[in-house]
Amino acid sequence: MNTLMHYYRKVELFFGNMKFAVVIITLFAIYLGYGTFMESYHGTEYANRLVYKSLPFMLVQFGMFLSILFATLIRLPPKKHLYGFYVIHAGLIILFLGSWITYQSGVDGNITLAPNLATRDIMINQDELSIQFPSLGKEVTVDLPYVAKPKNMDLEYEGIKLKTFLPFAEDKLTWIPSTESDEYQSSSQYNLYTPNFGEIINLTLHPLSDFNNTLTLGPLSVHYMPLSLAPCFTENTKEGLIVWNAEIQKCIAPTTVKKVKGAGGEKVQIDFDGRILSFVPGMSPLPLDEKMDLDEKSPYRIFSKKLFENKPHLFLFGTYLAFFDRDKNAWQGSPIALKEDVDLPWMGFKIRLLEHRIDAYPSQTPHYLTPVQENSQVVRGDMKALEVTIDDQTFWVKSNDPVAFNKNGDKIVFRLGRKSVKLPYELILDEFKMDTDPGTNNPASYESYVSVFHGNQGQSKHHIYMNNPLKMDNFTFYQASYFQTQAGPFGSVLSVNFDPGRAWKYLGSLLLVLGSIWHYFLRRKHIKKPGDARA
Amino acid sequence: MHKLLLLFVLLFNSVAFAQVNFCTDELNSVPVQAGGREKPLYVLAHETIKFMTGKDKLEGMSSTVAFCKLTLSAFGMPLSFEVPIKVEHIDAKKLLGLNENDDHIGVNTLNSKINDLESELSTLKENNSYKKELTKIRSRLMTYRAIVEARAWSVPVEKDGKIDFVDLAQYLTETRVKEASEKTDTPVNYLIHQAQQKYQELKGTAYLLELKYYKWNLFTWAMIISILAMGLLIGLKNKIPGLVLTIISIAMQITSMAMRVMISGRAPVTNMYETVMFSGLGALVLALIITTYRKEFAFVIAGLAYNVLSLMMMRFAEGMLDEGISPLVPVLRDNFWLSTHVTTIILSYAALALSWILANAILIRSSFFNVSKEEYRYQVDLIYSAIKYGIILLAAGIILGGVWADYSWGRFWGWDPKETWSLIVLLVYMAILHGKYTNWVSPKIFVLTTAGAFMSVMMAWFGVNYILASGLHSYGFSEGGAIFLGTFFLIQTVLLIICGIKKQKA
Repeated sequence: MNTLMHYYRKVELFFGNMKFAVVIITLFAIYLGYGTFMESYHGTEYANRLVYKSLPFMLVQFGMFLSILFATLIRLPPKKHLYGFYVIHAGLIILFLGSWITYQSGVDGNITLAPNLATRDIMINQDELSIQFPSLGKEVTVDLPYVAKPKNMDLEYEGIKLKTFLPFAEDKLTWIPSTESDEYQSSSQYNLYTPNFGEIINLTLHPLSDFNNTLTLGPLSVHYMPLSLAPCFTENTKEGLIVWNAEIQKCIAPTTVKKVKGAGGEKVQIDFDGRILSFVPGMSPLPLDEKMDLDEKSPYRIFSKKLFENKPHLFLFGTYLAFFDRDKNAWQGSPIALKEDVDLPWMGFKIRLLEHRIDAYPSQTPHYLTPVQENSQVVRGDMKALEVTIDDQTFWVKSNDPVAFNKNGDKIVFRLGRKSVKLPYELILDEFKMDTDPGTNNPASYESYVSVFHGNQGQSKHHIYMNNPLKMDNFTFYQASYFQTQAGPFGSVLSVNFDPGRAWKYLGSLLLVLGSIWHYFLRRKHIKKPGDARA
Repeated sequence: MHKLLLLFVLLFNSVAFAQVNFCTDELNSVPVQAGGREKPLYVLAHETIKFMTGKDKLEGMSSTVAFCKLTLSAFGMPLSFEVPIKVEHIDAKKLLGLNENDDHIGVNTLNSKINDLESELSTLKENNSYKKELTKIRSRLMTYRAIVEARAWSVPVEKDGKIDFVDLAQYLTETRVKEASEKTDTPVNYLIHQAQQKYQELKGTAYLLELKYYKWNLFTWAMIISILAMGLLIGLKNKIPGLVLTIISIAMQITSMAMRVMISGRAPVTNMYETVMFSGLGALVLALIITTYRKEFAFVIAGLAYNVLSLMMMRFAEGMLDEGISPLVPVLRDNFWLSTHVTTIILSYAALALSWILANAILIRSSFFNVSKEEYRYQVDLIYSAIKYGIILLAAGIILGGVWADYSWGRFWGWDPKETWSLIVLLVYMAILHGKYTNWVSPKIFVLTTAGAFMSVMMAWFGVNYILASGLHSYGFSEGGAIFLGTFFLIQTVLLIICGIKKQKA
């Protein structure tokens, strides 16, 4: 017993020592300062993961707690001149306990209310992976670690291996080798730019790529096609028609076309290597069969270049390009060599070929990135990603971008997102109102009119606005944000909170302030002013 | 356009109008609506001319007269002057073809170069000081355009028994002017006067308080009086004259602050300008209170010194502190919490500022002059007194902030940079106070650390807004503070190093 007391005394002396207090307070202050700079550079979530909710920071806080606790215990039994001191330290201990209760049992999340749509899901600050097996009607969820740096999960479930989790990531372009070199699965990267604007564009014909073969940049439409189609685009014919045989990958731009008027529009007859094909271009790109029906099995397709003459359309064929020049009223074509520019006829635009591959395709692969914050907004690295392997096939599941995987004919859907907590009742946003300051567009108030459905117990209506939350069944709902739906009306975001440590924190705070006043002011003892007999 | 020309003919080609000088300072009291508030034209004119040019007057004209003449150019009235638009950044000057010494560019020249500026802005990805300056120059030009297109000046009109505001260009309709011309030789003066009368009939003359607030300029007078009071308290053995002037200065500051509260309808702690104002006054009042029971005039002198510093900042650091009164962001529209949490925090900064002044004073005195050990210990005790006030107020302020956050956002503590830095300040001072009870912190180290600790206050107060610039407290953000803060840190650090190395004469 004596030995135990001896060790306890040692522990008490160590943690209750004033020097330990100075060290731990200083360490805590430095750590906090570091956290604020991390938040400034990398955003709130990164700072929370790296500092405020990390284990080392928890240990420093625990060190503070021990210092406060033992500094009190070491000064027992109570001494009159330390009453204020005891109250301060008791307040701090209660504050710590309240914070711990909140950390352990509290709920802090958001509920997104789309107009007139019932919801009861609170999205909390915890990422999870959901694995759905639709054919089995089963869903499995896995909590993802609250870390700031990449973490190897090393988990396996029914042949599904969960590997690296990236809490902050951005897609990086990587070229994945194709199984075979094929012009019809080619991919290219271009820089489309003016002196004031530039955009790197990736286009591909490969079916596994994350990119497409068309894209729109403002008024300009860009189309990517196999090189063998290029000659047909640059050939200026009267009718402006192109016929394509997908089987033999050959096209023609017919110079003579026989037109026949009939029901359903003007029919054209084209001689393709001796074979006469009939089309109704105004109706369908498919040819007509002998019964004059659309032949869906035919490898032939027709389309009219005239459709692409009124607005800017750029046709890219890897190392060749074509466009309609309205000034010259003709289709123009030009080879485009690697790292060389070609002038385009629209507002000083130029295009440069940066990469052209027939043996690989571009893919967006997530890479870890320390997030970058500018003007209070995270501008890079706000994506999360998890590497998954099934049957030696590895792929990434990115936040809010579900992946469907086919395993032996059964679909498995992976979804990475925020974990949700169900409310015991449903909320519906009846109306969101935003007032502005007179004569301006600056918001003056945000207000949500909400109906709460309690199942069989009926419904109640509530008005939530800034500084006027709704309190219901231990949950408190605060007006946090808003958004506009595609249909026009506004939706509302409420922050939802359940804090079982609240009362403790309030009590601790009160004791802290009262104790400080007691300690510092009710014990007035001043040093006399030199040469002053009054003081 | 045709209508505008016709109006121009009606308004300004008439001999009658030409005889009347419409643009005079009598327009100062005309009510307008701008930036979400109703205010006298003087305030709008002063704010916009100052924003565009950095000056109070233009070509010898008051801001109201200049603003009026610029507005009338929308109706074809020829302009006899060109507005110089303020340009501060060296790279912006280069872009606009100015010399390094030029601080302004003529608005017509700027108009011709706006495409270059827009093009440069579109290429700048990082939101650095250069981009901010270019954005500001563009904004100054847009303000100019709004004035010369008569969109900046709004006129009150009655609508269903309520006051609505319309642009001057919309107000001076052909019909209105024609009707007014039949009654008077000066139709524009008549119409504006009529609008003002109608406004005052329906809404009273309370808005004119803002005109008095700006015209009286009580803070500047208070600054002069505080300087005099400080001189008298230091120079004279009889402290009464100094104290009387101190009280006069406090009364003037309270009056001005009360006017500001009445104008804005909220506690005067909602932006940097107001917090500096409140802390300066708070420090002086607090110093008087402490003096009352400690019978020590050093506190009043320290309070006056800090008061003068804050009043000087308000008067001269216009680029950093915006004097204008603007509507608040929705979350701050709670007078109870503004009046408790923010004022308590700012008062704590004021008390800690007193300790900072006292610490630096004894630091310099003991480094360069002879100070007895007793005097040194006594001064340390004075500093300690000020810190006690500071930390109690700070702890209370932080907790009140937590309660407000809990009430408004649903969490007592969220590691927001502003609240975190307030806690850091408290921890810094707590470390010093705890250290005082160990042999680590001697009286000299106590004075040195106390003088240095105020840097944490400045970081929490200004640094979070000017350097970190993120978080829920981002309402107070303004430009130009980083240089001020950097300079402050540099001077204080150099002083600490010099005094730390130098052997104390105590």
